[in-house]
Amino acid sequence: MDNLLAWLHTVGWAVYVGGAITMEWVLRYAQRTMPPSQVAEVCKRSGARYRWFGLVSILVVGATGLAMLLRIDDASLAGRAGHPELSLGDAYGQTLLLLTVAWAVLLAAVSSMAFWLHPAQAKRSQPEMTKEEVQVERERVGRAIRNMDRVLKLELAVSVVAVGLGASLHAGGLL
Amino acid sequence: MPTDLTTWLHIIYSFLHDISIATYIGGAIAMEYVLGPAQSSIPPAQAQVMGQKTADRFLWLVWGSLGVIIVTAVLRLEKLGHLSFTDPPFFQSNLALTQDYGRTLWTMFGLWCVLVANGAIMTFYLRPRLAGKLKAGTSAAGVQASQQAKMEAARWVERITRTDIVIALVIALLGASLRFGGLL
Repeated sequence: MDNLLAWLHTVGWAVYVGGAITMEWVLRYAQRTMPPSQVAEVCKRSGARYRWFGLVSILVVGATGLAMLLRIDDASLAGRAGHPELSLGDAYGQTLLLLTVAWAVLLAAVSSMAFWLHPAQAKRSQPEMTKEEVQVERERVGRAIRNMDRVLKLELAVSVVAVGLGASLHAGGLL
Repeated sequence: MPTDLTTWLHIIYSFLHDISIATYIGGAIAMEYVLGPAQSSIPPAQAQVMGQKTADRFLWLVWGSLGVIIVTAVLRLEKLGHLSFTDPPFFQSNLALTQDYGRTLWTMFGLWCVLVANGAIMTFYLRPRLAGKLKAGTSAAGVQASQQAKMEAARWVERITRTDIVIALVIALLGASLRFGGLL
């Protein structure tokens, strides 16, 4: 059971963080040479899938993380480097708390992408719209894409910090 | 906060190891199941350019990750006392094949070698085939043969990428089990 939880936790983080790195470092690079209309189409299509991958993986991370936390006992902690304690007075407990905050920020970021920012990218142009209305609609979609970009950057930064915090738990915590 | 260099090095090696594994697994999944389908939504000529650019860039991530994974794995083993750079026979007893820990670790290393071999096949054999350009004056039969070869290469890239994802997930399972003494 411990093996399974640790594996699911690792895979959840890997899909989330690796996905964020790939979206930022690979997709954004490829988009630089693409015409804006195709950038919008690729953004819409990739975002449509990525948001669900992100949401499921961050929920798996949360569920398995909580299950692993509940299974920690004094005996298992005693065998770890730095002899950590599950208390807010100890670096291990403080790091775990900060990791939980980072997870909550990531959940908020990916939820905002899934339920708000990505749906906002859909164009709602109608044939009867005036030029001004079409322009307003284009600007609104452009803003939604820019907001999505900002959230992607934020989630990448927070997720990399979270991996660092998680890695420090092997050595008793970072704080 | 840790004050000694040894603990900091342990944290840094763990961080680099974890982030490289995440980049490899998450990147391969994103390339295959997010960017691939998105690519099919734009005109074929532009999709080919996008595919080439994303694959070229992603191969840097793949080779970087595979390199960092093995280097940090060796450094972590040394920090954990399972390996010694100075005292022969270098490998300590728990890395022997008679131990669960040793068997699990050597299986992970074998699978890492498979990932490297697959990466080399994609980088040095399949990618050049996909990127090959036709010379002026190529006959219709030559164009068709070239297209056929490209489609075959693309199919192999897809097969190998999916195999790599499965292998990487198995490595992650074995790696997660090391904390509990190994799986095999």
